[in-house]
Amino acid sequence: MLPILGLLIGIVIALFTPVRFPTVYSDYMAVGILAALDSVCGGIRAGLEDRFDRVVFVSGFIVNMALAASLTLVGDKLGVDLFLGATVAFSIRIFTNVGIIRRHLLHARPRRTSGGSRDVTA
Amino acid sequence: MRKKAREFELYVAGVCVVLGVLLVAQFRTQEYIGRAQIPSRRLEDLSDMLRRSDAERELLEKEVDALRKQLAAVGEGERAAEAVRLELEKARMGAGLVAVEGPGVTVVLDDSKRQAEPGESPEVFLVHDEDILKIVNELFAAGAEAISINGQRVIATTEVRCAGPVISVNNVRIGPPYEITAIGDPTTLDNALRMRDGILDTLRTWGIEAKVQKVTTVRVPAYKGSLYFQYAKPVLEGAQK
Repeated sequence: MLPILGLLIGIVIALFTPVRFPTVYSDYMAVGILAALDSVCGGIRAGLEDRFDRVVFVSGFIVNMALAASLTLVGDKLGVDLFLGATVAFSIRIFTNVGIIRRHLLHARPRRTSGGSRDVTA
Repeated sequence: MRKKAREFELYVAGVCVVLGVLLVAQFRTQEYIGRAQIPSRRLEDLSDMLRRSDAERELLEKEVDALRKQLAAVGEGERAAEAVRLELEKARMGAGLVAVEGPGVTVVLDDSKRQAEPGESPEVFLVHDEDILKIVNELFAAGAEAISINGQRVIATTEVRCAGPVISVNNVRIGPPYEITAIGDPTTLDNALRMRDGILDTLRTWGIEAKVQKVTTVRVPAYKGSLYFQYAKPVLEGAQK
């Protein structure tokens, strides 16, 4: 619940403030968004698997974003669309993590109501 | 376990706030980019149109050339008098030696009524020759066919020059209020002057009173001065180097 609330708060904040990035940095923002989305998915997955570590989470978020941004910058200078690499990598990770989260949630619900241990096979 | 779960939700929520802000900002940016770009399809259409009208213009230029030659030939023939009369009429119209009337606009300019505050130059609140030149220029660019300033027809040799407290046009001194009359498409002329950040906007910044009025019929008088060429001599066609 809390993450969705956070997302809504973020959207509302942005809607009421006229934030707009210079068009030149559009690629950077796109990659940044993917990095944030990836972190969110990774964090939820880790939380569901009960091995959430805030240091790993926060550092991962920041380092991933910085890496993606610098990759885009280098790509810009070289004339190669390197940010596509970051895009693909993040997209794959998001898909994987969402898949795992989905399985966790699907199996967690009956387990929580019955309380018994079920065979968890994905 | 419960406490731990809360903790991770809190952190994820924090990143979600950032994500939300980024998302909205990026949407906004993309929307802006989409609006600012001309679709390439339209660009192609336009360049094609340009190419076609370029070709057309070339053809028309050739036609003009042919017609001119024909006219010259006719001039030597028996209908010489008629051809010359027609040509003369057109030339007089072009030179501004004939009074003309038609739809157009009138622009009335007057000095600013605002008092110059200490430190401000009173000069900026007066109508200058430049202002009138700019308006005349803008009107001609918008397709005006005949223009007069306070009854002075603007012709090829007309000057608009600062002459102390007044302005000299066709070597006649005129003072405020200045009335510029132009014949042409009233809407186009009016729009050209009212363009955003255009000439009227600039003048109004200084408080100079400018009134533009579209009129259905307006008269632009003929040039009344003398035409005297002391230095310029016509070059006979075919005699050019």
